[in-house]
Amino acid sequence: MASFTPYTYFQCPCTDTNLPTRRLGESRPPSSSSETEQEDDRTFDPRAPRANFSLYPLEHLLYCEDCHQIRCPRCVLDEIVTWYCPNCLFEVPSGVIKSEGNRCTRSCFQCPICIAPLSVSSIGAPPEGLGAEYVQPSGPYVLNCAYCMWSSKEIGIQFEKPNGIYAQLSKVKNGGTPIITPKERRKDREERSRDSSVPVVMEEGISEEGEEFVNLDVHEELDAESQFANLKAFYQSQLAEASPASALGFTGGDYGYGSPGALSRIMGLYTGGNFADKRSKSKTGTMREAQDALEGLQLCNTTSDEETITRLRNEGYENTASVAQLKEQTHPAHKHSVDDLRPIAYLLRTKRSQRCKTCRHILSKPESKVQTTRFRIRLVAPSYIPSISIRPLASSQNHLLTPFKPTQFLLTFKNPLFDRVKVSIATPGTTPGRFESRVTVLCPQFEVGANTDAWEEALREGAEREKRRTKAEASEGQLQAEAGKVWERGRNWVSVVVEVVPTSLKADVLMKEEDRGPVREDEDVVEIPVFVRVEWEAEGQGDDTVVGRGEKEVKEKRELAYWCVLGVGRIAQV
Amino acid sequence: MTSKRATKGEYIETDTGNKVSRRSQIIGTTNIILGGKTVIQAEVIIRGDLLRAHQNGAEKQGTPVAVAIGRWFSHYPLKIADHVFIGPSSVIEAALIGSHVSIGANCTIGKFAIIKDYVKVLDGTVVPPNMVVPSFSIVAGRPGRVVGEIAEGEIEGMDLREVYRGIGNG
Repeated sequence: MASFTPYTYFQCPCTDTNLPTRRLGESRPPSSSSETEQEDDRTFDPRAPRANFSLYPLEHLLYCEDCHQIRCPRCVLDEIVTWYCPNCLFEVPSGVIKSEGNRCTRSCFQCPICIAPLSVSSIGAPPEGLGAEYVQPSGPYVLNCAYCMWSSKEIGIQFEKPNGIYAQLSKVKNGGTPIITPKERRKDREERSRDSSVPVVMEEGISEEGEEFVNLDVHEELDAESQFANLKAFYQSQLAEASPASALGFTGGDYGYGSPGALSRIMGLYTGGNFADKRSKSKTGTMREAQDALEGLQLCNTTSDEETITRLRNEGYENTASVAQLKEQTHPAHKHSVDDLRPIAYLLRTKRSQRCKTCRHILSKPESKVQTTRFRIRLVAPSYIPSISIRPLASSQNHLLTPFKPTQFLLTFKNPLFDRVKVSIATPGTTPGRFESRVTVLCPQFEVGANTDAWEEALREGAEREKRRTKAEASEGQLQAEAGKVWERGRNWVSVVVEVVPTSLKADVLMKEEDRGPVREDEDVVEIPVFVRVEWEAEGQGDDTVVGRGEKEVKEKRELAYWCVLGVGRIAQV
Repeated sequence: MTSKRATKGEYIETDTGNKVSRRSQIIGTTNIILGGKTVIQAEVIIRGDLLRAHQNGAEKQGTPVAVAIGRWFSHYPLKIADHVFIGPSSVIEAALIGSHVSIGANCTIGKFAIIKDYVKVLDGTVVPPNMVVPSFSIVAGRPGRVVGEIAEGEIEGMDLREVYRGIGNG
């Protein structure tokens, strides 16, 4: 079995702020109040399915200085500071995001087979002769994967230039045939509507006079993007025709389909309200549906399905794209085999600032520049909340806990604050869950010193170490922790002992019949819920009330209470 | 790079305050720049002898070229910044490793990969050649991909001062 590392998770109180306040007034079912329980008689159960969503390592938590509360990723708001490409690390302005989408539009691509980055390389003959090193390699260029040796040549794509691959790639289909860009399509559409006075009557070759004009086929097979563009253009023109613009520039009497008037009419459709006025009834614009590829109609092609099946049959599994590969692609529904896959433009990444959801104060704000790693504001929980580390007291080689053998653990609380804090910890007598181990905290109340200057620590270190050693030696003699006493104490840390009597994982220790059954996943881990209350006297912060009272330092009493979960070890299955 | 302070321990301490395991292989030491507080563990291979064919202007032609005698080439310097931890049996062929990077055991960092600051590479990852790992990423898998972000609170934990002090010829 893999070795077990003890862990501590902190519960963010945001998960139960709603529930208890509402429940407090309600009458509680009398069955649960029989046990001797704490003041608000709920102990936190780390095994409850909901607990999964409220437990975090201390490092993942933030701390709101205004609410004086822990904030977890669920109770903060993220705001995007910068968008950038994770490959070329270029910042992308938000305006470009809106027009170009959330992918890098430079030359950053991922391999469609293995997602490793692709690099551009020349496949032209290398220049030879004197000074050949200084000659720029000539095209054509391909995208190469240095991890799985895939190359864009496999899908028949080559590039003329080594830069601006995104733009070049958007113009070629797999196999090398050019894609008609949306711009060209729009031009075509405009030509068509100008040429034909009758709305859209199909005429081939309307555009002989256009010099680089692409003649679009009525039965063309469109890819998803151009089909959408065609459909959109078609329906827009239909809407415009159905409700012709009035002289004022507004669309006609019933405000068209895209107007708020139309919306309210649709809202009143079923309630039979008076929104549906007569005017709209009198004039029903006739709208037709798309008729050909130029208008975005794609007929279902049965032969292409058959082709796909025969291809699958002939080329076998190796040439079929996997689900993971398709997931990375845009429009995966149209792709089946490996040859259909296209290089994946890198998804942009963001730098985000975080705000407290309740008071809207910023909790963390990175510098907006991509290359810097500094933060302007960073209120993280580890600089406000004592960290808890767990260590078995007796250094045993066996990392499994023996059932019914009392085992002692050392909890070390380290205070990050510049004030001394008073800590009280409480645990339920037995761990929750089917297998109840008994837990005793030998010293539930103690004080932890302030986190004073680091220099002081350095100076004191020598002496302290000595002290620690003597303590350790002393402990070897007795190996018995005294109740009510701190085990060890340092400048800003305190260690206390917790004794655990693990239960047996055999089914016969279970009291209730319905609990019986095999040990489920991770049920052998002893998880102790601990309620921690931290009290300290902080210097009054620059609040107006505090300043008004006088220049003297006003000490403010602070209190913070939260649940933690300590995972101490696995019980041996005998 | 290494000052041979004759200590018979597992690690060699360099002048700039790095700890390099005696059982690691470092090739092309003249091309490797180490920052401070870097820990390199046993059986690590670091290659500073990667060559780059001299191609003007061409974008990142990431093809390492075999030794071509008589032809003009340049060694590609490998820069490893501060607070970098390299776990046992990892192979490093990167171009740059930023500060506060922790690389797990049995990793392979591909040729000319660039790893920015505050990155965690989990055990057994193969970072493909030419990959750029942006700051505050957690990388895992074969080939490596960014699987997560470093939380704001974890930054202090990536400082190697404590680890550096703890490790060594003791």
